[in-house]
Amino acid sequence: MSFIFKFVSRIQWVLFFLAGSVSIQLQASSPAEVKELRIAVVANASSGELTFGGVPQVIARDPVFKAALAEQNIKLQWVPVSTAAVATLVNESFAGGKIDFAFYGDLPSVILNASGIETRLVVSGSVGNNSYLVVPKHSTAASIRDLKGKRIALHRGRPWEATFAKLIESEGLQLKDFRIINLNPQAGAAAVSAGNVEGFFTLSDAHALVEKEVAKIIWSTKDAPVSWRMRAELWGAREFVEQHPEVTQLLATATVRAMHWVSQEENKDAYIAEQSRMGLPEKLIRRDILDERISWRDYWSPVLVPSTTAHYQDVIDHALANRLIRKPVKVDDLLAPQFVSRALQTLELENYWRESQAQAGAEQPSVAQTGQEYAHNGLQQGAEQ
Amino acid sequence: MNNLLRNVLKKSKALRGLLVPVLLLIYWQYASGQSATHRYAFVPLQDVGASFVELVGSGELWINLLGSIERTGVGLVTGVAVGFALGLAMYFSRIVLTLVHPLYTALRQVPLLGLTPLIGIWLGNGDEAKVFIIALAAFYPMVLNTYEGLRNVDSRFREVGEIYGFNHWQQFRRVLLPAAVPSLITGLLLAIPFAWITCIGSELLFNAGAGLGNLMMTAELAARMDIILICALVVTTIGILMNYGVSRAGDYLLRWRGRRK
Amino acid sequence: MTSAVSDSTFSSTGRQRRYLPVVHSWRGATALISPLLLCVLWYWATAARWIPEQILPAPAVVWETFIDLIDTGELQMHLQISLFRLFTGFALGAVAGLIFGALLAISETVRVYFGLLFETLRHIPTLVLIPMLILLLGIGETLKIVIIVKAVFFPVAQAATEGVKNIPRAFLEVGQVYRLPHVTLYRRIILPAIIPPVLTGVRIALGRAWLILVAVELLAADSGIGQMMEFARQMLRLDIVFIGVILTGLVGFGLDKSLRLLECYLVRWRGRHHE
Repeated sequence: MSFIFKFVSRIQWVLFFLAGSVSIQLQASSPAEVKELRIAVVANASSGELTFGGVPQVIARDPVFKAALAEQNIKLQWVPVSTAAVATLVNESFAGGKIDFAFYGDLPSVILNASGIETRLVVSGSVGNNSYLVVPKHSTAASIRDLKGKRIALHRGRPWEATFAKLIESEGLQLKDFRIINLNPQAGAAAVSAGNVEGFFTLSDAHALVEKEVAKIIWSTKDAPVSWRMRAELWGAREFVEQHPEVTQLLATATVRAMHWVSQEENKDAYIAEQSRMGLPEKLIRRDILDERISWRDYWSPVLVPSTTAHYQDVIDHALANRLIRKPVKVDDLLAPQFVSRALQTLELENYWRESQAQAGAEQPSVAQTGQEYAHNGLQQGAEQ
Repeated sequence: MNNLLRNVLKKSKALRGLLVPVLLLIYWQYASGQSATHRYAFVPLQDVGASFVELVGSGELWINLLGSIERTGVGLVTGVAVGFALGLAMYFSRIVLTLVHPLYTALRQVPLLGLTPLIGIWLGNGDEAKVFIIALAAFYPMVLNTYEGLRNVDSRFREVGEIYGFNHWQQFRRVLLPAAVPSLITGLLLAIPFAWITCIGSELLFNAGAGLGNLMMTAELAARMDIILICALVVTTIGILMNYGVSRAGDYLLRWRGRRK
Repeated sequence: MTSAVSDSTFSSTGRQRRYLPVVHSWRGATALISPLLLCVLWYWATAARWIPEQILPAPAVVWETFIDLIDTGELQMHLQISLFRLFTGFALGAVAGLIFGALLAISETVRVYFGLLFETLRHIPTLVLIPMLILLLGIGETLKIVIIVKAVFFPVAQAATEGVKNIPRAFLEVGQVYRLPHVTLYRRIILPAIIPPVLTGVRIALGRAWLILVAVELLAADSGIGQMMEFARQMLRLDIVFIGVILTGLVGFGLDKSLRLLECYLVRWRGRHHE
């Protein structure tokens, strides 16, 4: 049996070499020329067909963008990410060097940058998404104050955590004042429906729970300053953005072009219909996204406004205060506003979105309304639709 | 009436076996009618049926099922092949055994799904990660059963081989391998269902793509308990079919051994 | 059953002729070679910056975090909670499984009415039950304990059934011939005969229960080792994830090892009684 023994011991070295070469390859994977553009997007597969959440769905079919990439022999690769854990999946992909860009949220980006993996905000995406505080249907809680000391389902490290922090801080409360249960939105919805948690903080999926008559919304960012909304935008790996500004610009321009398309009133219905394939029915998307304080056009503004910078500072402060990150991050380091400016020039859209409009909502008084008031508003909204 | 029921029940064992499950289903249906919250958890059976028809009709179930099976297949083949090779190496080389055995014992104790964070970073969250974790699930029992199967070959068999003057290859091919086949099949028998369930688990934890786990995830988002239920049933059925298939195949392959127990 | 058979191959069943050279002779020393090599490689890879720290944290960093987690009491808290869940669920599941399994083998009525249900439920993977059980039971302690009970009950029940069924007829006949009282029959014949397969079943069940508990804690919990890992993952703290992986491995190893020792001890004990 000695020959096999020898054979195997020789094989061992081959294996060691293989392992070594793989790790060396890992290091050497920064080619001078871009061969592919890997972009992570929130996606939903239904009937074997992928639907992307938000603007990427529009970018994906942009012929101008595709042609421009084809011209430079760059392969476009969309990396789908499921809604259950966007933050984690995208951060891990950035850390592992598996993606160059991602459309995702504010707090996870801060966490990523604090861990030493740098990314840049290339195109700021819309005004921000609404978050909702949901309680079981028969709950008597009318505001966040009533939930003090109670169990609240909140997926930690997701962008809406920062919104939640703002809500409780405005009431003089802290995370410690609640029993926060770290559940992804799917599990959180189940928990609140079954009455296993007293509260659930989440995004537009809250409307699905209301529609099913298992829960009710007692607060939402519609009652708060616009700057409270969570932000999801186009982030790029620093290295890629710095080494390949032209390719980055292509993507940035395509993103702004897509936002411009969506922001036109006549495309609104088509866009919402398409997004319903993400799982939430059209009616509920409308209930979530439409807000009389912000016009449809301004909702989609890619212009970087001061309130966005302030928003990021707040997110960083929250992350530090709650020991989510150990090292502080500088907001200015995160931003790369030049790409949007150039995109707006190229597309001759400099005057399409004006800063003042995009900011309009942010200047409302920052008073959180009580549950009763909200319930009243909610009724009105319900009647309008 | 009571007597009639008793008579019917006595006549058929199968019917009696069905009694308790049917009662449970009736309770389920009853519970679903209680309130909206109940309805959320105990989906009425007719809704489950309707959703099933819908899922089959739209081809959605089929696409996702195929996606999961394909993924399991790839992971299984990889895991079984690597596991078999490592099992052989452990048997033939003392160095490999010394080096691998402690690591194997240690790593095997780490819950597979607990490795997802590391795998997520190292391999990304795409199909590679899923296939890797499935392969790992198939790999563990395969290594163990290959190695143990060879090690436990009766020394009388070995001696027969030596009497015939077999060389190493002949000894391996004609004596060791056939004698180890039952153990290899046991390994496979363990690997297949384990790979299948790990596949569903990895689909729950990793990324979007066709797969029953993903279908469940999407259903959860839309609070569609009926779809979750259907997925769970399909996963279970496939698991049972796989078990049955492998054990039948095992019986067939081992028919020369005669029935031992 | 297959799982019980194959998994027991590693335990000493007396059938083995060639002993594991490593495991039995200079076990202590050689078993440490590869783990030490791995540690050196780990240290080397991070010290030489082969791999960025976000992908592979340095051993020193992991150690510091470990000390930090112990100092704050966080680690102990999570571990304690996880183990409490494990043992509570395990105790309930094992006792119920043992009783039900024995009944299934002995009583015709139980077999006829519950056999089919048992066979069906046995095959449902615990993992796919998690989303449903969350709806039915919530995300509190009940969920975790019920899931562990499910994970433990079926393998133990099955092992008990097999164990009772496999008692050689002769044993029972001897009992009848000598007109042994029931208690003696159970104590001297049935119990010793089913202990080895049941213990193997218990060991497998405990391993599975630990695996599934970590998975549940990853998906839905407010505390526990799995939750510690999941939270760390969300915060991109790979050092904590590493500690979690190592710790779950150690716990799994410890559980497995102690049951194996118990198995060895009881098998020997049984041997003595038979002679």
